[in-house]
Amino acid sequence: MSADHVHPVNFDPTDPGHDHHADHHHHGAIRIGIGGPVGSGKTALTAALCRALGDSVNLAVVTNDIYTTEDADFLRKTGVLDVERIEAVQTGACPHTAIRDDITANLDAVERLEHRFPGLELVLIESGGDNLTAVFSRGLVERQIFVVDVAGGDKVPRKGGPGVTTADLLVINKTDLAPMVGADLGVMTADAHRMRGDLPVISQSLVETPDAPAVAEWVRAQIRALTTAG
Amino acid sequence: MDLAALMLADSRFPGGGHVHSGGLEEAVARKLVTDLPSLQCFLVGRLRTAGLLNAVFAAAATRGRFAELDVELDVRTPSPAQRAASRMQGRGIARAARKAWPSDRLSDLLKATPEPHHPIIVGALVGDPRAAAQVVAYHAVTGPATGAIRLLGLDPFGVNAIIANLQVDMETVAAQAEQHANTAPADLPAPSAPGLDLLAEAHDRHHREEVRLFVS
Amino acid sequence: MKARAFLSAELVDGRTVVGEMRSMAPLRLVPRRGGVVHLVSSVTAPLGGDDLELHVRVGPGAHLELRGVAATLALPGHRPGGSRSVVRVEVDEGGSLDHVPEPTVVTRRACHEAVFTADLAAGACLRTREVLVLGRVGEPPGTLVSTLDVRRDGPLVRQTTRIGDPATDGSPAGLAGMRVLGTEFLCWGADVPEPVSHDWWSLVPLARGGSLATALAPDAVTAERALAEARRAHPGSSDLLTRSRTRFR
Repeated sequence: MSADHVHPVNFDPTDPGHDHHADHHHHGAIRIGIGGPVGSGKTALTAALCRALGDSVNLAVVTNDIYTTEDADFLRKTGVLDVERIEAVQTGACPHTAIRDDITANLDAVERLEHRFPGLELVLIESGGDNLTAVFSRGLVERQIFVVDVAGGDKVPRKGGPGVTTADLLVINKTDLAPMVGADLGVMTADAHRMRGDLPVISQSLVETPDAPAVAEWVRAQIRALTTAG
Repeated sequence: MDLAALMLADSRFPGGGHVHSGGLEEAVARKLVTDLPSLQCFLVGRLRTAGLLNAVFAAAATRGRFAELDVELDVRTPSPAQRAASRMQGRGIARAARKAWPSDRLSDLLKATPEPHHPIIVGALVGDPRAAAQVVAYHAVTGPATGAIRLLGLDPFGVNAIIANLQVDMETVAAQAEQHANTAPADLPAPSAPGLDLLAEAHDRHHREEVRLFVS
Repeated sequence: MKARAFLSAELVDGRTVVGEMRSMAPLRLVPRRGGVVHLVSSVTAPLGGDDLELHVRVGPGAHLELRGVAATLALPGHRPGGSRSVVRVEVDEGGSLDHVPEPTVVTRRACHEAVFTADLAAGACLRTREVLVLGRVGEPPGTLVSTLDVRRDGPLVRQTTRIGDPATDGSPAGLAGMRVLGTEFLCWGADVPEPVSHDWWSLVPLARGGSLATALAPDAVTAERALAEARRAHPGSSDLLTRSRTRFR
């Protein structure tokens, strides 16, 4: 095998030529996926982003989690987002398939929202509870955020998996819990950077900053970049 | 069987089929299907009723006349939930097909019916009546069978063997359907499936009240 | 036995009267007051080999109620071949037909085909009910193939129900092991806007107009009660409510 052998698919995120998302956003809303393990705080982050961005961005949410009228009532009461702006996808008890292998149901949900809200700019697509191997298809989202949390153990970033290594943004959530669960935040962020090369990592606590300002700013930057690129 | 037929029959085909259980989820919720024998009973009944109807329309759709077939399948599908599920799957297949198999025939179909019924787009894409009928007859049982594995945790080898044992039934349905490839749309058979109609409507109602994991 | 019967109803001076009526054994038509005609089977029918056809025509603005008086027993005959009974209906503009036969019991070894076809003019109304009972008590059913086919400027409903294949009779997809299937087609004023359903019955709007009630039940009384409940959810047919009766156990 020659030294310049190039594997047809390059999994090395540190490679400067690594282009895992083609910026060919042409029409419709920008779609950002929010994935991560069960309990890592995907829904809380989604709600925080709705609060932070809702006034300035025409946005909606697609959820792949089991979504009940109770959830809808909760969102209506907290006033985070009009329930009309939330589409729940029935994933056939297979949430990974619905965001990765066969994205039809999610695309249908996005199209329903775009039809309902002309001029829709952003759709946040929340996955169902994932394990570390789950990622969004690039046919479904332009950018994806992977959320892990401190309480899940400080070895999670080190374990890697496509969620941790290739997501456009890794969020280490619930940093306020680190002392309580004996997690070493320094190790977590160092591992995360080592696994991800130049890809960004944000550590946050929604207890300390309920509106997730750093993540919201990252999302705004993606919207700007994708809008000018398109 | 040609490649398009094999791809369409594959449960990994990205056409959105995996979120439909064909009434199985409701049957499970009511404990009408609880184990392998009751699953087999469900699947045989489904194949000989809804499976036959879909197979007949898939075979007929290989000859065109898409707009007429659309009307005729609509009036043979009383349950609005089932009409919606069929069109949703047809639309999902169309999304994949526009990229995989662009053709004048596909354009004609989508012009006549932007949200085609599932068996009609399968017929349009496969072309051979026997193969088209086989694909949808197979779909009629594999969706619910997968649903049973997911919802009841049934032994996948047992479920797989049930499907394998449907060989004769499936060939009978496909052969019946093939005979109707050239039948005028209005004269096509119209086998009813009262149980599936009721399960589909109840599924839809329950989803509004609580949670159902599948769309149908 | 081959029989052809004909019945027409016309509106004369604001009242429905029977225009032409031709009974032929075993199809005996008995007019009652107020646009009501009873269909009385004069001998046991249908038997194997029977070929029966009733043709009904409802003129513009006329209202006809066609009722059975006793359950039909589909029985095997002495001659080979199945039996067949056809009801063919035409309803002119503004006319209405309320067709409520009594249940059909598919006895063991019966081999019967039932067809109901209707051509409706614009603005014509139709209600037609069918209650199929799988055998007398404790008796497995023979075979029955029943087709419902209604057209009004194109098809509204077409479905063929098969009874007698244990694999579908017993499957939750088919008759779910129930002894009675009831269906009622309604094209009578406004259709139900959204489906109304219960576990074992539903009333649904059809794709191109008309509504269909379907019920599966362990017995005919329960099936007819379910159909009546479904009909109560149908906005267009409130004037039919008072006329529904249950006589069959």
